[in-house]
Amino acid sequence: MEPVIETKGLKHVYIDSDNNPVTALDGIDLQIMSGEFVAVIGANGSGKSTLARHFNALLLPSEGSVNVHGLDTLDENNLWQIRQDTGMVFQNPDNQIVAAVVEEDVAFGPENIGVPTEELKQRVEDALRAVDMLDYREHAPHLLSGGQKQRVAIAGTLALGSRCIVLDEPTAMLDPKGRKEILSTVRKLNREQHITVVYITHFMTEAMQADRVIVMGDGRIKFQGTPRDVFSRVEELEKLGLEAPLAAKFAFELRKSGVKLPQGIITNEELAEALAGTFCA
Amino acid sequence: MSIKLEHVSYTYMPGTPYEKEALKDVSLEIHKGEFVAVIGHTGSGKSTLVQNLNGLLHPAKGTASLDGVDLSGKTKEAKLARGRIGMVFQYPEHQLFAETVYEDVAFGPRNLGLSADEVETRVRDAMKFVGLDFETYVQRSPFSLSGGQMRRAAIAGVVAMNPDYLILDEPSAGLDPGSRDAVFAEIMALYKKRGIGIIMVTHSMEEAAKYAKRMLVVYKGEVILDGKPGEIFLKEKNHLLEAGMDIPEVYKLADALRAKGLRLPYEITDAKRLLAEVKRRKGLK
Repeated sequence: MEPVIETKGLKHVYIDSDNNPVTALDGIDLQIMSGEFVAVIGANGSGKSTLARHFNALLLPSEGSVNVHGLDTLDENNLWQIRQDTGMVFQNPDNQIVAAVVEEDVAFGPENIGVPTEELKQRVEDALRAVDMLDYREHAPHLLSGGQKQRVAIAGTLALGSRCIVLDEPTAMLDPKGRKEILSTVRKLNREQHITVVYITHFMTEAMQADRVIVMGDGRIKFQGTPRDVFSRVEELEKLGLEAPLAAKFAFELRKSGVKLPQGIITNEELAEALAGTFCA
Repeated sequence: MSIKLEHVSYTYMPGTPYEKEALKDVSLEIHKGEFVAVIGHTGSGKSTLVQNLNGLLHPAKGTASLDGVDLSGKTKEAKLARGRIGMVFQYPEHQLFAETVYEDVAFGPRNLGLSADEVETRVRDAMKFVGLDFETYVQRSPFSLSGGQMRRAAIAGVVAMNPDYLILDEPSAGLDPGSRDAVFAEIMALYKKRGIGIIMVTHSMEEAAKYAKRMLVVYKGEVILDGKPGEIFLKEKNHLLEAGMDIPEVYKLADALRAKGLRLPYEITDAKRLLAEVKRRKGLK
């Protein structure tokens, strides 16, 4: 299978406001496969947002390379294609909306690349349906909830034809209901339309839904694996300023006290199941 | 000492087609020394509520007052009263503006007309409070700090005003768990040492449960629930879910354990106690 995104020895160095060079990414080798749902977690300053910005050539490597659908981001001729292939959704929903009507906002991207009117209409309709916002097509975006605005932003990338979506903390500013909306939308797009998803988050409960979790620290990939592998490593996560899910922390503490529990417990239900019937009165 | 809202209503863009009644007849009192969490979905009216609490917005109907002084007044007294209620907005690091951390933190105290010595004392105290070493950071550009440090510098600017009440709008949004705990450690120190009143808007049920003594649930412009977070999360679960809110993870874990036959007292609301109870029931110390 072809990787959608491939980085080799990716380094990113920038000069901070005190004129010191800062290495934000320090040798990242990574492949993201077509149809994968990858979560990226890491403390503030670990390099995860910088990494995301390399995935659609918003940033360019200081050393090493990034290929998106086989196209090198350092080749300027590839930029338009790369940015169509990989859509980005950012943290603040209010900073991403450009139009006064939802469907015009979604049409903004494809219109700019010259999609013919009939096809444009179809793309916008399909995109809004995919994020369950078709009923709001004629609404004013600023009156929508945070979760709805973020879904409109996702629709914008779909209408552009993106088969890979990179979301940088898309739920950081949302209420609990909005968070659930975004996560279920992303999962649905991944499962039903096989959209490749790179999902950066501080919410471990969200990262648990991914196929693979990448843990960043100090500009490097510290470790990665299935959510079960990653979130069982309670102590290592805490050292990186991250937090394991509550059930994993409980399992860790109980094991330390001598309770025999199967490895890889990360959800409340798994913990309850493992403990079922073993309690004394 | 208290901030008091009496029958406060607030309408955005009255008399236009976009007219929206954001607060409907809200009455409540918050005392100095309280730690109050305000939760509610986007658009529920919680931001409008807190902006009425510190005089940034003035009620369309009803009154907002601090110790009997109307916060919407134009008198010197009203201005001083508003100055006693500090506000840390969402993403406060976006409001940093000065060339050095010192200049940024000193901006507020200087505007109060304090002497240079007093300003420096305020800056030193405020930086100490938020855990930014004075010598290391004072001459640095605030924009060269990490995300968590920038947020602390911005909070220092409000702390330097010595407010009696502090309103925080989602103080942990976008922070990793480590930075989040660090910011809360400072907020709790401020709360305990200075005995100020804290009003915190949050989307995190965990934070409301962990830090607040009182919780207001705002829904469609009204305060529909007002009480201890523990009691509200236990008794009003369905009500909260309907209002687009959630319950903290520890309540969910306790529910899952109960479903598998662990009899747990209902008042268990924090992770440490739940873990201790599970260990006890496993016959461990």
